[in-house]
Amino acid sequence: MSGIRLRAYLWLLMMLGVIGMCTLQFYHQSPLQTNLLSLLPATERNPVAEEAVTRLANIAGNRAIFLIGHTSTETAKLAANAFASSLEQSNAFHQVIANIPAIDPKQLVEVYVDHRFHLLTEGDRHLLMNEQTDLDARLQKKLYVPFQFGLTVPIADDPFGFLDNWIGHLPLRSLKLEPEDGMLLVRNIEPHGVSHQSTEKTWVFISAELDGSAYDNIVQNHVVSAVLKAKEALWKTSPEAEILYTGTVFYADDARVNAEREIDFIGIGSLVGMLALLYFVFRSVRPLALGLLSVAFGIGAAVAFTISMYGQIHLITLVFGASLIGEAIDYPIQYFAAHLGAGKDWAPMSGLKRITPGLTIALVTSLLGYSALMFAPFPALSQIGLFALVGLSAAWISVFLLLPALLVKPNTRDPEAAVAKPKLLLTWWKTHMGKRECYVVVIMILAIALPGWLQLTSNDDVRLLIAKPSALVTQEEKIRELTGIGNESQFFLIEGATVDAVLLHEEMLTQRLAPLIQKAEISGYQGISSFLPSLGTQKKNYALWANKVFDDKNALQTTLTHAGLHEEVSEQLINTFETSAKQPLLLEDWLKSPIANTAKNLWLGKTDQGFAAIGLPRNIRNTETMKLLAEKIEGVTFVDKAGSTSQLLQNYRQWGGFWLLGVITLIYLALVVRYRWTQAAVVLTPAVLAIVLTFGMFGHFHIPLSLFHLMALMLVLGVGVNYAIFLREGGAYAAASLSGVLLSAGTTLLSFGLLAFTSMPALSSFGLTLLLGVGIAVLLAPMVMSFEAKHG
Amino acid sequence: MSQRIINSMLALFVACLCIQPLNASESEMLNRIGEQLEQYPVIRAEFIQTKQMLALKRPLVSTGQLTYSRSHGVLWQIHQPYRVSYVLGEEDIVEIDANGVQKVRSVREVPGLAQVGRVFRAMLGANTAALRTYFDVALEGAPDEWKVALVPRQPQLAKALSTIQLEGSQFVDAIVIHETGGDVATIRFKHVQGVSALNASESQLFGVAP
Repeated sequence: MSGIRLRAYLWLLMMLGVIGMCTLQFYHQSPLQTNLLSLLPATERNPVAEEAVTRLANIAGNRAIFLIGHTSTETAKLAANAFASSLEQSNAFHQVIANIPAIDPKQLVEVYVDHRFHLLTEGDRHLLMNEQTDLDARLQKKLYVPFQFGLTVPIADDPFGFLDNWIGHLPLRSLKLEPEDGMLLVRNIEPHGVSHQSTEKTWVFISAELDGSAYDNIVQNHVVSAVLKAKEALWKTSPEAEILYTGTVFYADDARVNAEREIDFIGIGSLVGMLALLYFVFRSVRPLALGLLSVAFGIGAAVAFTISMYGQIHLITLVFGASLIGEAIDYPIQYFAAHLGAGKDWAPMSGLKRITPGLTIALVTSLLGYSALMFAPFPALSQIGLFALVGLSAAWISVFLLLPALLVKPNTRDPEAAVAKPKLLLTWWKTHMGKRECYVVVIMILAIALPGWLQLTSNDDVRLLIAKPSALVTQEEKIRELTGIGNESQFFLIEGATVDAVLLHEEMLTQRLAPLIQKAEISGYQGISSFLPSLGTQKKNYALWANKVFDDKNALQTTLTHAGLHEEVSEQLINTFETSAKQPLLLEDWLKSPIANTAKNLWLGKTDQGFAAIGLPRNIRNTETMKLLAEKIEGVTFVDKAGSTSQLLQNYRQWGGFWLLGVITLIYLALVVRYRWTQAAVVLTPAVLAIVLTFGMFGHFHIPLSLFHLMALMLVLGVGVNYAIFLREGGAYAAASLSGVLLSAGTTLLSFGLLAFTSMPALSSFGLTLLLGVGIAVLLAPMVMSFEAKHG
Repeated sequence: MSQRIINSMLALFVACLCIQPLNASESEMLNRIGEQLEQYPVIRAEFIQTKQMLALKRPLVSTGQLTYSRSHGVLWQIHQPYRVSYVLGEEDIVEIDANGVQKVRSVREVPGLAQVGRVFRAMLGANTAALRTYFDVALEGAPDEWKVALVPRQPQLAKALSTIQLEGSQFVDAIVIHETGGDVATIRFKHVQGVSALNASESQLFGVAP
């Protein structure tokens, strides 16, 4: 007797430990991880590329972008200013920028004017090399061209317009936004719906920097309410103003709100359902309480362990964890069923001993199934795997430690009456389903499944992992269309051992991309060598200046004075040319200059392997072309995070078949330990048939297969086999065992069924597969009874 | 004591009136000038542009023909000292040399050109509303003989131009542009006529159907 008490106290100790750990972990700082990007695996073999992806994502991630649109430019500007000040007043943002300091063309000139003899555009280089340009004509043109009042480099510095061209060709304006009146705006002609009249709308751009991480729920709440208030305030004064916004913070908030709602929905749904079913079968409150305690211990231990292993727990794990409730209860249910079936002859420890083999094997097979997840390349999936392993093990331990102490008194209900209905089912099965009928069922299943197999399709899109709400996506697309802000997850990574090597490689890339821009494969490209040529190129430029412009100093003087310039101008020009011979434009100077941050962000800096920069192509038509191009140039890689992830998903899915076979073999071997070869096969068959049929049904219903469906099938195996095990272990208490099995199935199917309704496509594929698979496995489980080996 | 206060307040009040860039009657006059010009969708004139540049010993003179179309933009055909035409639209600037060879450049290739281009078109078409958003306008004279001084309000524009003076009677007769670098461009118009449509060659140069 004291042994039972001791066990119970041990359990209590462990439970207190779990509670303590959880309190500690949640007390300091919420260990909840909501960052969607952390779900993605490291896909890039080059760690610098992975780092670049994170860096770009962070730069973009802490910004929210707003566009305020109105048919009248004046109203749009006023509205934008009002909106920006509401946002500022809310203190939800670190900085709200509606009034930008205009790109001062004179500052731009300052950056390059001292080095102008080392600079030439590609076009001018070509013209000079082939003697196709007439200096006289260029000078004339610069003097007489109309409209460019005050906009060109002073004639004394740049008489032939080479520096004007250089500055004009800088890819600064990658955005379609125009500075006007201190604000950035874009004008767009939009068709006006029914009347088919097009109206011009002016959109004003506002950029806001967050006061913290986009994944911090306090920041999210603050931002969302600030935006709502600002919108309402704006619509009161200008009801026809249109407001568009986008930013990581909005997506993150949406994901978090949905996840929290689903945790509640699934968790409470599972709990309530489980309690209701437990009561329906056992007609007593005690199993409910004990069941709750076991499940609580299981989930609590899982949370505590996961956080201590990973330092944090992802929301996606919690959503899945909520559905684990239905499965964790399976172990206590077996004990309750044994208690129900034993009636007056109940002794806690002997009851426990009787169900131990079955319970242990069931745990082992489930663990084998879940450990398959731990080998997935996705951090989120391996976290889910660990969570489930610990959770189920802890629930299992509760059966051994806690339950005997609290379920000492025998059941007062008459065992026969309690299991009357399951007994009916049993007798029906035993009379109608012999070996032959089972074989017929197997053949029928194969006949249905096989045609379905032939119709299987697949879907490896990374969007399975991160679903975006369409309302936000529409706004994001419209903003991209209006402003030309690109997609930050597709870019070129250029590396080199030295700074100049990077610039050289980038120049090669720019050259190769030029014809592609002509063919509209991409609409534009922004690379660092357009702002800062390599030393080699600068030297070439200087040589051209020397040979084609300054070769005959007298001729130069004549040209200039002929056009009316003072003599001093040509002298000054020649002097400056000669003194700047050893002064090419260098990276340090360029970085210090007041050039736009968008350009400076192209330079990544020093890495473990040398130096790196990024190049941003716009409107890529075909990512394959980009990839192939990058492969041909030294030091250049094309990074496409979304594409790489989809590729990874596909690779793993293709290997998934072998993986599944591997898990089947492992589980079979575990079963052999207990049941020997033939019987182990019998026990495993319902679960395997369930997998076969589930595959078939996916084919018939045109549900495309993804990696997540495959992973879920491994779970179907691990969980589905439990029911066959419990039935096989039932023995003399077969009816009670059956009621336990039906109850377990009920709670498990309820939980996974609820999971099928989440908004996260990965998890809902999980849930759907588990629902189908486990359901079929339960229906087929009684077959083990038809194939029982005859004992002596 | 109180009389002094009242006097000083009156003086302040009057002073405020004077500081105001445009009062009601000036505004009306500006509108009337604008309306005079607005009746004509196309305005043709001969121009003579004189540029006084600090780097040059003598001023630069060019002459030619200007056609301003409210809907298509500005056609600037230089005849002397050499033949070249420019078409300035909202998005592009097209250069057409003596042989008819066209070179199209985006207005964005010169930082700030989009705005200055808009300002120029607003001046030629006497688009008073646009002028008032870009400049502080000071007007003197009468609708049949007026002078306008424009000072840029927007920082981007102010970096290129310091002031612009317009003179006109029925149409704009002269534009004087003071650049911040110190250069001054004076454009005088002769034989200005307002018509209702472009002629054939103009249509061709603008790239529109006649």
